[in-house]
Amino acid sequence: MKVKTEAKRLAILQAAGDVFREVGFERASMSDIRARIGGSKATLYNYFPSKEKLFFEVMHEAKTHELEESVGALNPATDDLRQELLRFGQKFLAVLYSPEAIAVRHLAIAESRRSESGKLSFERAVLPLEKQVAEFLKKVMKRGQLRTADAKIAAIHFLSLLESELMQRALLGVLGSVKPEAISGAVRRAVEVFMAGYQRR
Amino acid sequence: MQVRKSELKRQAILEQAYRLFRTYGFDKTSMAEITAQVGGSKATVYSHFSSKEELFVECMMTALEDYMSGTLQHLEASRTDPRIALLNFGSSVLNFICSSEQLEVRRLMIAEAARSGTGKLFFDKISALRAQLGAFLAACMASGRLRRADPNLAAEQLGAMLEAEMLEPLLLHVREGAPDQQETARAARRAVDAFLRAYAPLRPPPLQHKQHAD
Repeated sequence: MKVKTEAKRLAILQAAGDVFREVGFERASMSDIRARIGGSKATLYNYFPSKEKLFFEVMHEAKTHELEESVGALNPATDDLRQELLRFGQKFLAVLYSPEAIAVRHLAIAESRRSESGKLSFERAVLPLEKQVAEFLKKVMKRGQLRTADAKIAAIHFLSLLESELMQRALLGVLGSVKPEAISGAVRRAVEVFMAGYQRR
Repeated sequence: MQVRKSELKRQAILEQAYRLFRTYGFDKTSMAEITAQVGGSKATVYSHFSSKEELFVECMMTALEDYMSGTLQHLEASRTDPRIALLNFGSSVLNFICSSEQLEVRRLMIAEAARSGTGKLFFDKISALRAQLGAFLAACMASGRLRRADPNLAAEQLGAMLEAEMLEPLLLHVREGAPDQQETARAARRAVDAFLRAYAPLRPPPLQHKQHAD
């Protein structure tokens, strides 16, 4: 039995990324991808059991780093919570509304009944994000900058407020490309309402 | 009598089309197939719906629209304070949209919207529903029960917070089975609480004499 290598895995991701970008998810086939890297179809399936999984990995690889960076930069010791949330929101939505991230989300919902992509994207992207934002908010609440509340719920409310203005449009394919000004307006309004909803009295 | 017959026909077309779209998706369902299922001529189907796109959007949105307009009428008629009205509204809407039928509709809508060019039609309908909730919030703002702000934006934010806890895991099949009424009531309470704190009037409304103990 052959040992899986990271180099091979990355080569497959690279080739798959090229194919997906060239012909789109639906028309891309595992055979096309195999043809680019050589080797057998069995080897390919050994690394990635399905096209969905492969697509998710490709996009995840591309976007996860940026997403983690945006959350990782949240500093709970900040003196200016509003500024901190604005900065995070701006970075977060810029990643979220990138064509790759929208494609992943779209696929995850559309295919959720037939494949694992929905579950995968929830477990790998949504949950860790919510958890990290919740940890940040918990510290902020402890320092008295927000009222004490369930930090997990607060995190979910904050993230949903950030998405509230544009996500529906993005998922319905009527958003087009998003200008940074549109994002900063949406972020400002979301942060304002979140802070007002969770401020101390 | 003629009107009623026409309305029955329309309902029959919607029912058959809905079933076919759900089973085969947008692309693989044709107007000819829908006509064959309903009976009658293609011209009759086209007299009710000008295109397959329009029919698809109507199929997906009719139940939600009926439900929402009923619930919103109730909301507008209620003279209770906004908290009670919004709590009732919120948990009722959550129960409806978390039903397996409505989840399936939403998945299908998202799956097909970009491909079939129906996204704009869907978005317009969703905006119209949101504007109805916005009208209620605008009335609350006008009477001083909520602070003055953009009511449509507020409606969008309230909707997002209501859905926030449950919709995503359900849509993604991470979680199976609709939440029970207690769970939706709790989620609605948390969303409405945060929303009302954010939109509390800057000064208490006229009839309320109690001052904030700052």
